[in-house]
Amino acid sequence: MLEIFTLSLLTLFAITSVVAAYLAIRERDLVKAVVYSAIQSAMYALIYYVLMAPDIVLVYIPVSVGLIPAVLLFVIKKTERYEGD
Amino acid sequence: MKKTDLFVIASIIVFILSLAYITALGGLGPLPPINVRRIAINYLNLTYNMFTPYLTVFALESVTSIVWDFRGLDTLYETAVFYAAIIASIALYRGVYIDFKKNIEKMGLSPIAKTVTRISLILIPTVAASVALHGHLTPGGGFQAGSIATVVIVLSIIIFSRYFLPIHGLSKNKALLFRSIGLLGIAVTSIALLLIAIVLGVNAYIFQNQAKIDAPLSFPSLVDNYILGGSLLFFNLFEFIAVAFGFTIVFLLLSISEEKVKKVTIDG
Repeated sequence: MLEIFTLSLLTLFAITSVVAAYLAIRERDLVKAVVYSAIQSAMYALIYYVLMAPDIVLVYIPVSVGLIPAVLLFVIKKTERYEGD
Repeated sequence: MKKTDLFVIASIIVFILSLAYITALGGLGPLPPINVRRIAINYLNLTYNMFTPYLTVFALESVTSIVWDFRGLDTLYETAVFYAAIIASIALYRGVYIDFKKNIEKMGLSPIAKTVTRISLILIPTVAASVALHGHLTPGGGFQAGSIATVVIVLSIIIFSRYFLPIHGLSKNKALLFRSIGLLGIAVTSIALLLIAIVLGVNAYIFQNQAKIDAPLSFPSLVDNYILGGSLLFFNLFEFIAVAFGFTIVFLLLSISEEKVKKVTIDG
């Protein structure tokens, strides 16, 4: 029972991350794309937590949800916000 | 969201589920064993084991024990890579000075965001410090704590303004100084027992934590019933300082406006 619950949680997080990754690629507004990519990373962090890797979770959350979006936002500010055709 | 988007998402999900099913059936090669592997059994046995004093780490957290003791030299070189990356970013921004403005009350986001951030400016470093100092007892460690602490830097640059940190005394050179102190601490901790052994005239190894059969020196592992994990506590603490201030340098440099950077780097 517990195994099925864990596996279904994993499936849910994995599928949500795939959807977020697709939306991040499709999005023309790069700031929104960064937010989608942060959602994808948050799902990965949850997957690590379910797979019992709390050390990775502790480093993955600040780096992927905090620092990488911040770096990307700085970089977007230096170029253009909207992707051209 | 358009209809085509939904169709693409649905087909991606079907593709992934079928790929997962094929993998689970062993269609893409043999599956890894479910049982705990022998090397993992050894790590788990030796992390805290009173009965094998020449092999154990005397810390409760096996991941930190692996990272800073069993494969400590690898982690040292990983830290060196991070060090080189920071050096590269400083070299890219050479000659660019971080300017200074006194009145920043009207800059940044709304007062609500600023008030919330003021509270988290205290809370987040507290969490980071606890992750670093308990790295040998609970999940976490120096790098994790350092990246958690950097979130504060990013928040204060985005919410207040890029002048917030220099006004409050955290300039690039000061961050560089603290980062160098952290790295120096890691270096000294890794050869501390060796230096003492040279003075005492006994045998010791680089990156030695607990005593080995032919090397009698060891870091304190138990002080007043509190488990210190020997050198792990020092490594975590210094790595915390080095990583937090290394990231601080990068974000201080990234926050400089592009026109200024271009003026210096292109026009010279």
